[in-house]
Amino acid sequence: MTTEHNTHFGFKTVAETEKAKKVADVFHSVASKYDLMNDVMSAGLHRGWKRFAVSVSGVGSGDKVLDIAGGSGDLSKLFAQKVGTSGQVILTDINASMLGVGRDRMLDAGLNVPTLQCDAEKLPFPDQYFDCVIVAFGLRNMTHKDRALAEMQRVLKVGGRLLVLEFSKVWQPLSKVYDAYSFKLLPLMGKLLAKDAESYQYLAESIRMHPDQETLKQMMIDAGLSKVDYYNLAAGVVALHKGYKT
Amino acid sequence: MLKGLSTRLLQHLVAQNAWASPLLQLFAGKSVQLNIALLNTSLIILENGSLAIAGETNVPDAVITIPPSLLLRLMAKDESAKLQIKIDGDTHLATELAKVFSHMRWDYEDDLSRLVGDVPANKIGEFSRHAVTTIKETTTNLADMLSEYWQEEKPMLAKKRHVEQFNAEVDTLRADVERLEKRLNKLTKLNTANPSNPDNR
Repeated sequence: MTTEHNTHFGFKTVAETEKAKKVADVFHSVASKYDLMNDVMSAGLHRGWKRFAVSVSGVGSGDKVLDIAGGSGDLSKLFAQKVGTSGQVILTDINASMLGVGRDRMLDAGLNVPTLQCDAEKLPFPDQYFDCVIVAFGLRNMTHKDRALAEMQRVLKVGGRLLVLEFSKVWQPLSKVYDAYSFKLLPLMGKLLAKDAESYQYLAESIRMHPDQETLKQMMIDAGLSKVDYYNLAAGVVALHKGYKT
Repeated sequence: MLKGLSTRLLQHLVAQNAWASPLLQLFAGKSVQLNIALLNTSLIILENGSLAIAGETNVPDAVITIPPSLLLRLMAKDESAKLQIKIDGDTHLATELAKVFSHMRWDYEDDLSRLVGDVPANKIGEFSRHAVTTIKETTTNLADMLSEYWQEEKPMLAKKRHVEQFNAEVDTLRADVERLEKRLNKLTKLNTANPSNPDNR
């Protein structure tokens, strides 16, 4: 159990003040190989999950989108195409190394996407500014998920949508296979491809410590969102939650 | 996987029918559950006027139910079948969505042209339309020929005018029987009221 001043870092319990630094170390370490590892770990499925998230976001031309923990900018790139020149996408991440990768990719793609290093628990945006806020594979690394969700709700316009794409609880009959993959194969792949088994061990552990589909749905409702619904993708390996600000 | 594919197909269809988006946008955020024959799915209307498959815990605003028998009649363009579609919940939403779907057309030639080019796509489209028309005509001719054979050469089917004549005779017989029944009832009542009637002895 975590106390008021402690939190999870994978399966370890650490002081709240230490978590952000430890997560930052993990992502500094994996930043350069992040895309490659994502492709290897998910057999390329993460691209399909992200495309699906964009397709159910309801984002159209002229909309304002905030991509939180956007890292290498996969989603920002897709959203930039959706909103067109009259809209705006802002790519943010707390980690400078990851954000650097994303910023360079946006520039290389010729996209005008501002990048901003910020903490999702203290978003530097006014109330009711965005039509859509998305956080993909980032919420589980946040120290105070409830505060982060409340911030995301704050910056949404009325009628705006919050999308949370995150690893979740896999369909029970597959859990043993999934465990073997996560705790045996994943660190091994991390060691071979990114020369960093420890960071990938943390990724596997942090996925297990993340709230399941129903718990996250309730957390979003508690943060002030309504009509919260979720999609199980790949038998629940990943879930996409969507909620509205009303 | 299936949700992603279905959503892409739906959105492609809406994109091809651009007139549908402003109509759908009026119902953004609402969802409809479709129970059509063996297919049970929920659709959600998105803020950009497109459609997507709804999530696992979606509570639909309207439910449209079409049993298999009704589906066959609808496919045969039976107008009266439309009145028998069951709608629960937000009927305005369900009716508008049904209207949008009934007017949507899949421009397969356009999709095909991206794969094989404009001219071959047009030729394939023409060939498909011609094939469908030929199949329809051949089927109708075959049905006409068989019905004629079974009516004239080897009478297994009744002709329309014979059926109508038979129906008219049945109607007349029914009316006659009803009249007779009424007369018998009247006579029975008279006999009961007047026991001195010599016929009762």
